[in-house]
Amino acid sequence: MAELKVLFKHRDEPGITEIDTYERFGGYAGLRKAVTMERQAVIDEVKASGLRGRGGAGFPTWIKWNGIPKDTSRPHYVLCNADEGEPGTFKDRELMLALPHMVIEGIVIAAYATQSRTGYIYIRGEFVEPAIQVRKAIDQACSRGYLGRSILGTPGFDFDLHIHMGAGSYECGEESALMSSLMGERGQPRLKFPHAPLPVIAGVWDCPTLINNVETYACVPHILVNGGAWYAAMGTERSKGTKIFSVSGHVARPGNYEVEMGTPLLELLDLAGGVAGGKLKAVIPGGSSVPILPADKCAGVNLDYESCQAAGTMVGSGGFMAFNDRTDIVLLMRRTSEFYAHESCGKCTPCREGTRWMFKIYDRIVSGGGRPSDIDLLLSICDQIDGRSFCALGDAAAWPVRASIKHFRHEYEHWITHKRSPIANPLPPVPRPTNPMLTLTAR
Amino acid sequence: MSTRAQMPVSGGASEPLPRPESQRRFSEEAVRELEEIASHYPERRAAMLPALWIAQREYGGFLPPAALMEVAERLGRPYAEVEAVASFYTMYNFRPRGRHHLEVCTCLTCSVVGAFEVVHKLEELLGVEAGQTTPDGEFTLSEVECLDWCGAGTVIQVGDRYYGNVTPENVERIVEELRQSDDFTPARLADSIVKLHLPGGRRIDMKARTEAPAAASVDQRRSFQPPATESAPPSQ
Repeated sequence: MAELKVLFKHRDEPGITEIDTYERFGGYAGLRKAVTMERQAVIDEVKASGLRGRGGAGFPTWIKWNGIPKDTSRPHYVLCNADEGEPGTFKDRELMLALPHMVIEGIVIAAYATQSRTGYIYIRGEFVEPAIQVRKAIDQACSRGYLGRSILGTPGFDFDLHIHMGAGSYECGEESALMSSLMGERGQPRLKFPHAPLPVIAGVWDCPTLINNVETYACVPHILVNGGAWYAAMGTERSKGTKIFSVSGHVARPGNYEVEMGTPLLELLDLAGGVAGGKLKAVIPGGSSVPILPADKCAGVNLDYESCQAAGTMVGSGGFMAFNDRTDIVLLMRRTSEFYAHESCGKCTPCREGTRWMFKIYDRIVSGGGRPSDIDLLLSICDQIDGRSFCALGDAAAWPVRASIKHFRHEYEHWITHKRSPIANPLPPVPRPTNPMLTLTAR
Repeated sequence: MSTRAQMPVSGGASEPLPRPESQRRFSEEAVRELEEIASHYPERRAAMLPALWIAQREYGGFLPPAALMEVAERLGRPYAEVEAVASFYTMYNFRPRGRHHLEVCTCLTCSVVGAFEVVHKLEELLGVEAGQTTPDGEFTLSEVECLDWCGAGTVIQVGDRYYGNVTPENVERIVEELRQSDDFTPARLADSIVKLHLPGGRRIDMKARTEAPAAASVDQRRSFQPPATESAPPSQ
């Protein structure tokens, strides 16, 4: 099986970031078609496509679209989550850099379907270069009448799209934290269903809010042009269409690869040129938040939501990382837990304290002070965080640790018994001795 | 008499805490930008992040208390709230940075393809440790969390620019290139981000950038060279 390029079909055309070139390759045809349809028909087309959110959770997109109230007594908002922060994922970056008009077209279609007049693209602060392309594309779309008043001559269809830049926070990729940040607050998550209404009822400024990932919006124009049934013909029974996987780590040709949902995991690895620098030891198929999969469990796993779940891992955001046999799992997980300890927003106790405890225990193990009880202590902390934190960041900190102990317990035991790595020259390298007190990156 | 008795009697909550004096350093253009950005939102408070970016530019690349105070005044919010928001985000600097802030991604993927070797090479080249600024104020070196260009690890962010596929071998060239350049300072980064909120944006010749050595390119595929196995594991 090879790549199946839907979103990336014209990625490499020179000048595709310019509106003329984008239109020449069929750009904005999806929007042109959408405005001739009933709003509900647009939502039904997305429903027929079976599109599921590409940001990580895989929530059916049409349910969000359909959940926006049909009356406009309060303003509706459309948000695009471009706060890509998941370690291992860089698909949104490339979509914005190479195909900004496709993302914007998807957002405008969503605005039409949900009767929204204002939208925001929340882009992480570090992504200035991708944001420059999005800025240019918005300005061009405005000048062609794809944004602004009476879009494409459709009476009453007014839509303004603004860029809102973040300022360095992984947590703001969580949808309710993103809304907090957009409203000018600390990027902490907000109370969710069932204790609070869904964002489609009360999101930003307590108004109905639609929020989707960059890649999800980029799929929409293709669904409108070719029909939901066409999209649903790709992929598996419950995971439709194509998905961009960002392949990185120990592979010969890292990069973004668009494949059909359900592609065997090992085929994606082959597409990226196979493992580099040694034999395959493990993969993390969906970004740092998802459970690690050892090499001997990779055969037979397909890249769709159900198959990955059956194998004990997840498609997540598509951040596919491969690790060769020089990789030390304990050191890798120490680095992962450091990331979550740094990025925990501090709102809820299980995550704020738990992520820091886990990092301290890893630090103790790799500085030679590990205790035999530490493995079970880590598992116990995972149980205390998982399902008990305010948002999914806590769960995401616990899952990789738990899976790594399940599959690589012997490496933990080796570290604790011998006070050194089971690998002669491990990757990532053994860190400098750290202060027993957790020292986070100095500001 | 005990020391305690000598202290002035506090009025408790009724006595205001000392607050920094606002210096009102926003230029006329900065005020115009802030007003235009604030018009994008139904609430003025939502312009907090952009206002902090404007302040970071106007105050030379970092946010002293006076800058936070000015944002508080211009948005009509309490000083404590502005400080609380600003301190949440890692890209707002509370202390001055070097003219170039080298932020080396040492997160998952980068760490297994040689990020620490790049950090050690930079420490050697600059004579400072990660987290420090060179005495001449030219460079600040930091280790940062994922910059999300994992396919091009090791990645370094300098101002508004990403360098991909950085190795201990080519990092010296980046340092030399930066010494000659004024384009990637913290204040310039803040300016780029402010301009992104406004139609027109900041005109940057992306073509010239992508053709520069070691710069970002859209097609991120390249040959992978595993880190040299001979090199001693750092800091063991």
